[in-house]
Amino acid sequence: MNTQMIFFLVFAIIAIACAVLVMKLSRISHRVVAMAFSFFAVAGLYFLLGAEFIGIIQIIVYAGAVTILFIFGMMMTEHRNVTFGSHPRKAHRVLSFLGVGTLLGVLLYGILNMDLATKEPTIYEKGTAHEIGLELYGNYVVPLIGMGFLLTAALIGAIVIARKEAK
Amino acid sequence: MVSINLYLALAAILFCIGLYGVLTRRHLVIVLASVELMLNAVNINLVAFSSIGPVVNITGQVFTLFVISVAAAEVAVGLAILIALYRNKGSIDVIKHDLLRW
Repeated sequence: MNTQMIFFLVFAIIAIACAVLVMKLSRISHRVVAMAFSFFAVAGLYFLLGAEFIGIIQIIVYAGAVTILFIFGMMMTEHRNVTFGSHPRKAHRVLSFLGVGTLLGVLLYGILNMDLATKEPTIYEKGTAHEIGLELYGNYVVPLIGMGFLLTAALIGAIVIARKEAK
Repeated sequence: MVSINLYLALAAILFCIGLYGVLTRRHLVIVLASVELMLNAVNINLVAFSSIGPVVNITGQVFTLFVISVAAAEVAVGLAILIALYRNKGSIDVIKHDLLRW
């Protein structure tokens, strides 16, 4: 077992454990913190894969901005003593568990029986901002501009939706 | 060297945890957080194929950037909708918001 495998296992266990904690913890604030740690673990996996730029972006956007947005969303809604009554649709949870479990089983069966890389794989050591920028402003310049429009529309739309209605 | 199958298996597990959360959790903020977990799993797949797949290429990482941008826009609009829903109905229980259910 080499160093990469150890780091992969550490990050994978942190990511999965924090994702389970997001489902299982009782307080909403603890759940959001667990989600942030899951994002950090995924960023560590990106560094392990040699994609440094994506890892940095993951930390900035997900672990930073999205987590802060979630904390604000949590603060502006009901977050103390959130207890819901009994679930009116009892079969819902069982059916969801069965469906998701079946999907996971099929996915894992397919993935672990797959033989993709017959030769010894080599890490692509070029996940730098230079390479990504050349590709982004070369082949993908039209989607990049479209993404700018999407982010502008999302910014304006979020403000318009969330503000108080004028009397 | 970690084989790509382990990364894909990890992404599948994270995706299924997120999907289960979307289907069963009742707090709206947690439902949105589960959607973010699912998008993260997809990003792991893209970066894994970009770095150690059969054909290594930078394109997967460019696509990951686009997915991250769309996720940021989605969470901004989603939380705005959530706040508007909470202001109008006074509840963040998913089951209370069933106007479009037949």
